[in-house]
Amino acid sequence: MSALDIIMILLRIAFGVLVPLSFVAVLVWMERRGAAYFQDRSGPNRCNIMGFRAGGLVQNLADAIKLVFKEDVVPGHIRHKFYFILAPMLVFITALLCFAVIPFADVLLVGGSSYIMQAIPTDIGILWFLAIVGFGVYGIILAGWSSHNKYGVLGGLRAAAQVISYEIPMGLALVSLLAVYGTVNLTEMAQYQGQLLFGFIPMWGVVLQPLGVIIFIVAAFAETNRTPFDLAEGESEIVAGFHVEYSSMKFALFFMGEYVAMFVSSALIVTLYFGSYQIPWLATDTLLAYARPVTVLLMIGLPVIGYFFGQWIKKNNSSHYRREHDPRIRETKVYIALLWSLVVLLEVICLGYLLFAAGGGADRILVALLQIGTFLLKTFLMCFVYVWVRWTLPRFRYDQLQKIGWEKLLPLSLLNIFITSAVIVAFG
Amino acid sequence: MGAKVRVVERKGRTFLEQLYLLEVFKGMAVTLGHFFRNLLDNSRLYVRHYPEVRPEISPRWRGRHRLTRHEDGTVKCVACFMCQTNCPSNCIIIEAGERFDGRSEKMPLRFDIDLLECIYCGYCVEACPMDAIRMDTGIFSVTSDNRESMVLGLEEMLRTPGAFDEDSYQKGVR
Ligand code: SF4
Ligand code: SF4
Repeated sequence: MSALDIIMILLRIAFGVLVPLSFVAVLVWMERRGAAYFQDRSGPNRCNIMGFRAGGLVQNLADAIKLVFKEDVVPGHIRHKFYFILAPMLVFITALLCFAVIPFADVLLVGGSSYIMQAIPTDIGILWFLAIVGFGVYGIILAGWSSHNKYGVLGGLRAAAQVISYEIPMGLALVSLLAVYGTVNLTEMAQYQGQLLFGFIPMWGVVLQPLGVIIFIVAAFAETNRTPFDLAEGESEIVAGFHVEYSSMKFALFFMGEYVAMFVSSALIVTLYFGSYQIPWLATDTLLAYARPVTVLLMIGLPVIGYFFGQWIKKNNSSHYRREHDPRIRETKVYIALLWSLVVLLEVICLGYLLFAAGGGADRILVALLQIGTFLLKTFLMCFVYVWVRWTLPRFRYDQLQKIGWEKLLPLSLLNIFITSAVIVAFG
Repeated sequence: MGAKVRVVERKGRTFLEQLYLLEVFKGMAVTLGHFFRNLLDNSRLYVRHYPEVRPEISPRWRGRHRLTRHEDGTVKCVACFMCQTNCPSNCIIIEAGERFDGRSEKMPLRFDIDLLECIYCGYCVEACPMDAIRMDTGIFSVTSDNRESMVLGLEEMLRTPGAFDEDSYQKGVR
């Protein structure tokens, strides 16, 4: 094993662990601000460090500090303390493990060897995901059962019933997808989506499987226990459901686990249906061939984006009432200075690449970085869809949930398999 | 006399609505419209930045209590105990004493209202025969970090001025 091998392993593991964790902060923030904007409120905008509020991100820090220093209560009536403590860990760890097989860039060739860009470079792909994600609900059931509380047990039962009914349509939607791609390996699926259909439509899963994508997304929402399928924690009927007895960091683990699960299932939806890390019309080979023009385009585009973003900050980061010594004026100035220094830094890096390093390994690394960026952007947008749906749709009743699962989604996914296989047999 | 029958049209039974998905997308379009409107210009939020920007209070609004005086500065209250008797939450405690300013025989020596128990119903104001107690101070936020300071005393109530002039208080509009 060379030094490069070790560095690459560390880098990939760091990506697979740190990115979901840092996305938790982003997602909590997005949920709050998004919720507020959907409802014409302003969301967290007070919490600051020396006047800097970072658009409300500082609030997360305050919440984290609060949760860490809260008393960690294990109620006296709990008999199985081990399971009680195990449950939140299980939820969190399974959510994190699911991300390990999701590719975030194409296979990278450096130093004469190739690296699959997944935290765990394995080819079982989607099978790993199905195995692990089903395990996550054990944490919820265990939490409900070991809290020894009727609300907890009801929440756990609901979660179990929900996962059982939605895992089937999800699996069936995947079956037809696998028939299309002909592989379970997620990296190969992503490469497949870099092709063009009829020479001009990107061959994304959403184009090939329009019905499948709807079924899968609905099932994925149910699997992550997000609204409209969050009746495992329906606060109007069963208080908080499975995590009613949890406090402090154990609750925080559930909370973070939910957001990691949301991030991972967004990443999976993007990988399966929305072209993964592929930039539309620019497959890896094309990108490699046109690395220089793409960089030049990037160098032109960055200041333009920076300008509009700066205008947006200037307009919205202002007080909407009269204030003496308005602190937001200074805040805005600092933000814009930071923004432009970031733009300049990126420009310098791009220029350095163009002048000194173009061609060979640097091209490949540049392409990998671009693809990582694309992947994260797509996942971010998909997470936004999660938030968007949560603040639009009301929660389903239990019978409606089961009806949709068994009477609508199941026949639809079977139909989807028939159609897909007919098309594949006819043309494939 | 036949009862009037009104047939209510049932919504949500057409095929497209039963599909549910289409309606979901419609709803999501509505919320997304709100999101982008607010994201692009957050001065359009329906939000009052509260501690800095205060709401406008109507003269009819029942705020913290005060005790009024005659033009010559003497206390209007005659310690008749009407308000204390009428108070549904029993939070008024009056101690009456002898009066020497010639207005009447009695006046309050102690007049305590426990604001933690008060439900701001305004019955004390309605009961008062002298128009001595009013809730027109415009104070709507009463906070403290201990219980003792939530008990409003005679001095405090006499000291607080009304927030509205007599005319608008009588009419109930500004
Ligand atoms: S407002 Fe109502 S509750 Fe409060 S002191 Fe007057 S009568 Fe009592
Ligand atoms: S405030 Fe009015 S009702 Fe109450 S004791 Fe004085 S005069 Fe009587």
